[in-house]
Amino acid sequence: MSDSEFVRVEKLNRVFDVSKPLLNRIIERQPKRFVHAATDVSFSIAKGETFALVGESGSGKSTVAKMVVGLLPATSGTVEIDGVSITGKHDRAQMRALRRRMQMIFQDPYASLNPRWRVANIIAEPMLALGIVKSKAEAQHEASALLKVVGLNPLDGRKYPHEFSGGQRQRIAIARALAAKAEFIVCDEPTSALDVSVQAQILNLMRDLQEQFGLTYLLISHNLAVVRHMSSRIGVMHFGKLVEVEESRALFKNPRQSYTRMLIDAVPDISAATRR
Amino acid sequence: MSETILSVENLRVEFETRRGTLVALDDISFSIAKGEVLGVVGESGAGKSMTGAAIMHLIPRPGRIAGGRIMLGDQRIDNLDRTGIEAIRGRRIGMIFQDPLTSLNPLMTVGDHLTETIRVHLPLNRRQARARAIELLEEVGIPDPTVRIDSYPHEFSGGQRQRVVIALALCAEPELVIADEPTTALDVSVQAQIIKLIRKLCSTRGTAFMLITHDMGMIAETADRVAVMYAGKVAEIGKVSPVVGAPLHPYAQGLMGAIPSLDNEEPRLRQIPGSMPSLTALPGGCSFHPRCERAMDICRQRTPALLGGIDHKVACHLYEREEVAA
Repeated sequence: MSDSEFVRVEKLNRVFDVSKPLLNRIIERQPKRFVHAATDVSFSIAKGETFALVGESGSGKSTVAKMVVGLLPATSGTVEIDGVSITGKHDRAQMRALRRRMQMIFQDPYASLNPRWRVANIIAEPMLALGIVKSKAEAQHEASALLKVVGLNPLDGRKYPHEFSGGQRQRIAIARALAAKAEFIVCDEPTSALDVSVQAQILNLMRDLQEQFGLTYLLISHNLAVVRHMSSRIGVMHFGKLVEVEESRALFKNPRQSYTRMLIDAVPDISAATRR
Repeated sequence: MSETILSVENLRVEFETRRGTLVALDDISFSIAKGEVLGVVGESGAGKSMTGAAIMHLIPRPGRIAGGRIMLGDQRIDNLDRTGIEAIRGRRIGMIFQDPLTSLNPLMTVGDHLTETIRVHLPLNRRQARARAIELLEEVGIPDPTVRIDSYPHEFSGGQRQRVVIALALCAEPELVIADEPTTALDVSVQAQIIKLIRKLCSTRGTAFMLITHDMGMIAETADRVAVMYAGKVAEIGKVSPVVGAPLHPYAQGLMGAIPSLDNEEPRLRQIPGSMPSLTALPGGCSFHPRCERAMDICRQRTPALLGGIDHKVACHLYEREEVAA
């Protein structure tokens, strides 16, 4: 494995069994039915790079993301992070050490934070669970520092999630990912629930943090403009297959697949206003 | 200028609460001509949907229209009673909501939805209504409408459901359709089809659209004119190309700069600091001044008026003086 490959995904497959119940199958004489949510997906991400997966709903982007962080077991194929396979068998300690290095930011900041927990505790949780800090007091102190890093007031730690706007909540989710000292963050549609001006704030924050901490991102999005703006390389997914992987600028200038061309052309662009 | 379908003049909507009166919409004025698409953009809470709701008398309690006029053609509709507005809702003004799944009844076939709505508004019998429903489905681009009319909503994809909802809004050939975030829940490729459909309906039927969205790209592709809203006021309004291409209001400029685009090479997006004020804590003067880079003393004291020509108006003190000079 070369030095530039921090995350390596090889021939990842995921099949979902969507058959009817056994009795119905016997009565209706129907075979089992399967959905191939991901078929032979392979890509690699270099350290400090942003790799994006785009595609329409149902194309399998989120399924791949979940398999990469180990939230969903793969049917076959391997995921290696810094040379360690997460799809194979592991002892608990090794898996734990690996988990702490990757975190996920979810689409809906209203659903991904526990409404009954104070924000400082939400951020402190991974530090305590993963044994990054020694004491609760230290965790609280770190949490305040992290709130500042993501552009919130350290005193906000005492509040509950409902007291924050969508953009602020997404900042909290980012702070939690940073709390685990993650090096690799999977962002599943991080800004699609947000207004454009707030989206700009969050995207800028993600870029700043990437520079500051040398983070590696896997960005999942259906918004091609966001993807174009954020990522250095892009993979286009269609019906569970990775149809094209290309350096970001080249992909937009010169898509090889007709599907990619179609996706790019469909994006409503503000420059259309001056064309008409 | 062609025939005006809807004109809203100095509309004001207030909510009485225990903590005092909140002004949700303040001095909103605009008009929509026949066959025209007016885009209404702004962030969540700017009052876009509230404007649509006010026209349809769908403001949630305890909100009420506290001033201004809404004219549909020659008829004043803001002071109508329940029966009066029901004769207009669906008949002369159609409505398309954001989520196509929740706006259809899962227990009714698409045909039931359409024939019911058609028969409420038009004097047709069951068979005529069904024939009309099939025509409508064909017009909005549902393939094989004679078969599909008997399908249930869950048998359609998201984009097709939105087409059905558009067909429903068009049942009674309304003069105006208010579309509240019609493509937010859809994929880009489907979104592009819906945009085409809206434009087609404008040109063939002369239907006017009020398109409420936060997607500036959608506005640029679809609308003829656009109103940018901020904290319950119209900040800037005019033809799409000057407003989107060369916005005047600092908020509109920030909003356009914040959008990542396919041919922008800048590593950082322009961002507007802070967030929109809540209605309970609106700052005095221009409500954008705490976030504005170019705020002056007068911005803190006086609310700017919406000034300018027919093609482009802006509510900002930066331009008021030029206006006086000109």
